[in-house]
Amino acid sequence: MARSELRILALVTEAFGGRGGIAQYNRDFLSALARCDRIGGVIVLPRFGSGSVNALPTGVQQLRPVESRNAYSLAAVWTAITHRPIDFVFCGHLRMAPLAAVICRVLNVPLWLQIHGVDVWHDLSALQHRALESATMVTSVSRHTRRRLLHWVGIDQARVKVLPNTVESQFQPGPKPGYLLERHAAGGKKVLMTVSRLSSLERYKGHDRVIRTLPRVLKQRPDTIYLIVGDGDDRPRLESLAVECGVTKNVLFTGSVPPEELPDYFRLADVFLMPSVAEGFGIVFLEAMATGIRVIGGSQDGSRDALCDGALGTLVDPENGEELASAIITALDDPTRTGDRTIRFKSNLFSEHLNALSQFFSEHSRRSLRERRTSQRGKVTVSVPNAFRSFANDQQCR
Amino acid sequence: MCGIAGIYAYHYAANAVDRAEVRRIRDYMAARGPDGLGEWYSQDERVGFGHRRLTIIDLSERGAQPMMSADGKLVVTFNGEIYNYRQLRASLEAKGHRFRTQTDTEVLLHLYSQKGEAMVQDLRGMFAFGLWDAEKHALLLVRDPYGIKPLYYADDGWTVRFASQVKALLAGAKVSRDPEPAGWVGFCLFGSVPEPFTTYQDVLALPAGSTLWVDRVGTHEAKQYFSIADTYCRAEVTTSAIGNKADQQDRAREALLDSVRDHLVADVPVGAFLSSGIDSGALVGLMRDAGQQQIQTVTVAFEEFRGSSEDEAPIAAEVASRYGTRHTTRVVTEQEFQIDLPKILEAMDQPTIDGLNTWFVSKAARELGLKVAISGLGGDELFGGYPSFREVPLCVRALAIPGRIPALGDLTRWLLTRDFSPSLNPKAAGLLKYGGSYAGAYFLRRGLFMPWEVEALIGADTRLGLRRLNPIRYIEGLLEPKPSSSFCRIAVLESSLYMRNQLLRDTDWASMAHSLEVRLPLVDSRLLNQFASITARNGSQSKRLLAHSPRVPLSPKVIERPKTGFTTPIQSWLQRDNRIQEWRQVPSLAAYKCAWARRWAFEVSAPRRERNGEI
Repeated sequence: MARSELRILALVTEAFGGRGGIAQYNRDFLSALARCDRIGGVIVLPRFGSGSVNALPTGVQQLRPVESRNAYSLAAVWTAITHRPIDFVFCGHLRMAPLAAVICRVLNVPLWLQIHGVDVWHDLSALQHRALESATMVTSVSRHTRRRLLHWVGIDQARVKVLPNTVESQFQPGPKPGYLLERHAAGGKKVLMTVSRLSSLERYKGHDRVIRTLPRVLKQRPDTIYLIVGDGDDRPRLESLAVECGVTKNVLFTGSVPPEELPDYFRLADVFLMPSVAEGFGIVFLEAMATGIRVIGGSQDGSRDALCDGALGTLVDPENGEELASAIITALDDPTRTGDRTIRFKSNLFSEHLNALSQFFSEHSRRSLRERRTSQRGKVTVSVPNAFRSFANDQQCR
Repeated sequence: MCGIAGIYAYHYAANAVDRAEVRRIRDYMAARGPDGLGEWYSQDERVGFGHRRLTIIDLSERGAQPMMSADGKLVVTFNGEIYNYRQLRASLEAKGHRFRTQTDTEVLLHLYSQKGEAMVQDLRGMFAFGLWDAEKHALLLVRDPYGIKPLYYADDGWTVRFASQVKALLAGAKVSRDPEPAGWVGFCLFGSVPEPFTTYQDVLALPAGSTLWVDRVGTHEAKQYFSIADTYCRAEVTTSAIGNKADQQDRAREALLDSVRDHLVADVPVGAFLSSGIDSGALVGLMRDAGQQQIQTVTVAFEEFRGSSEDEAPIAAEVASRYGTRHTTRVVTEQEFQIDLPKILEAMDQPTIDGLNTWFVSKAARELGLKVAISGLGGDELFGGYPSFREVPLCVRALAIPGRIPALGDLTRWLLTRDFSPSLNPKAAGLLKYGGSYAGAYFLRRGLFMPWEVEALIGADTRLGLRRLNPIRYIEGLLEPKPSSSFCRIAVLESSLYMRNQLLRDTDWASMAHSLEVRLPLVDSRLLNQFASITARNGSQSKRLLAHSPRVPLSPKVIERPKTGFTTPIQSWLQRDNRIQEWRQVPSLAAYKCAWARRWAFEVSAPRRERNGEI
């Protein structure tokens, strides 16, 4: 008898118990996926993150992280075999796509691949090309990332969909928190802020561009401070730059902050800015806009999506210091705080869209499995998994 | 014939439709539809349509577009003509449908409500339209079987935009101008941009004979509802049932007359382009047979050709006299070409090496007050008029065995493209590599540049473009399913590649720039269905059937005349025009024997090199 619910194997870098934007995205994605129509369960195999997670969403089972690359590959294959039946594989990072494609090939199940940004800024390896070509559907975090992917890979554009970040409910408008005003002596000052890791691999985020622009801003608004929230190996370079630009008193490095304080940090700021040139999407923009503060982003990358082409915030040419300074001053001069501007990115819409995408995926899976069977004619006879066939048939009947 | 535009912000995070953008896209196409304009927006502002109208059927305001169904559930923006709309309308009225206008546009709305997407099988014509189905909350894009009418779309992942022209989409200012390497490489290899590619990554052509749905998850895969290759394959099975020569002539006349009659449906006068060839001459004869009393014909002539075999004017005038048309010979001069050149390049929607002839003949027709003209385009594809029908099979037979020897083709190509053989025709170097298969030999016959020459023309991303286009596989894909006879294979390739991407595209931009609708009775899916088994049996002899189809057949002088094509003296003009001399800096193009088309292609691809910062 055909099973009616689908079981999914999710290969991800990190999800529940992980940190950073991609982990957050995976958590939102997998939680929503487990709630989609006809999804019976999601088995998550992360590579990084905390081994013990207190609570998981209904329908999600997360296995222990396996950090070593080779061990992870073996663990993925072992999981795929021992947790059968698997109806499709979700792969949360392009680096893992070749492994996921092999598992899909062995199990004869379709592949759903997620891309984030920096993974497609440059041409891909031959194995990644093949994996992408074999994927039934690719979801991209932004239009910009999708465009970059399609520059490198000649796959049908209809198979590449956009599913942007969503924003958590703890990011809400509110007054500037007293304890942070005191901690950073920010009382009576205008606060610019950027939140991110300070990684030397992520210099595209534009902290240095803000620091270089600061002298121009301070000439007109001397009571401004720039709060850099986050830590990493690029911090010494930025500290030196602040010295070089003569703005050490106005640039404050907070280091890492506890996640529970992050909403308050956004509320402390008057303007959140990240004039990046290579952002995949920038979930921090959503978190900032959810707290009602003004936002400035770069106009040439995935930030455009977060700011909805300028409808929710100001887009600037990140390489144009004058334009950036002018945007900062304009934003500082407008003290009014808006309400939550991220209604269109709320999790209910994210979940509804993911549900529609899963239906689209199921329709196309059936076709691609049929094509694969045709291409394997004379080699091995394989059959479409029962649950999937039943699911696809049902979708067609709707 | 019109210009259509539309935007559907399907993604939940997308901004609502920007009305100013719809208008920018629509009004870029003013020449396509100078007689009227319209726009429509859904209540939630997630969908917007624009339309520029060239009035040809039901000239009243009731025919304005975008047009909504009486119940408000369907909206269409439509470019083209449905030639059998009267029959369809009668059939729909018999089923209880009530019409408000005399247009073919309204027939589309009723037919869709009756049959849904399957309606496309009933349509005879050239068409491209966008139809909004409010109940399904989805957009349907449709393009005619041969791809006579263009339809381009750009899906950025949040919003899909469509229009009749690539440049119109760009005029909206929200579609990325990132170049598509496969489109540029295709242009260099074939002389036109092969669909679905365009020269912009984000803009795609909806493939000919296809439908495409866009719903809340975005674009679905295009679905093909008509295939030329499939039609020929089916026809090959039925060649034995087509009767003797007399039967075939009767069937040919009947089918051709039926097509011409349908193509004359209009509320304005329908004229005709007339050359010295069989195709246009026979069509004028059939127009007369179909009952058209007043026929305005027009021929373009060039001073440089006077008295030579390339001069079309004397024989065209004889044909016009034979069928009693009101005939005009329009002489084009070098000075006029020089004045028009900037306008030609501006109107050229995608880079191409042709279209100049259509530009001038359309201009002449419009000067005579015509809005619609019949053209004989498609006759050579249908009846085997090109040398390729003879040469490609010969090449394949000769090179099939050496072509199978591993690496031999690549080795000879490598040897023959070394510095010691610069004067060698580049195609000679590719003979062994490509000549042994139909796809390869056809590529050699129609190719403009060879793959190893392309990098010098467009520079960056050439390898990426070659990888993505994969020209031989692209051609092989057009031959799926593969007909068994060489005639049918070449007919499929000429119709699906050269005609579709080159002739039809050039005819569209060059005629619409003059607000002229060009109708093509020989490019018709129903005619192909009726005719393919006859041509499959007769091969290149089929053209005689066309020549003898009018009640008064064409004269032997026209029938026996060697094929010349419809040429212009552009080569000599090109060499004298100071504005287009960049090709002289490239040794292979400056060589005495270089074909003008290669030089012209180099000039037309200048924007790509400019973008690369190479000039």
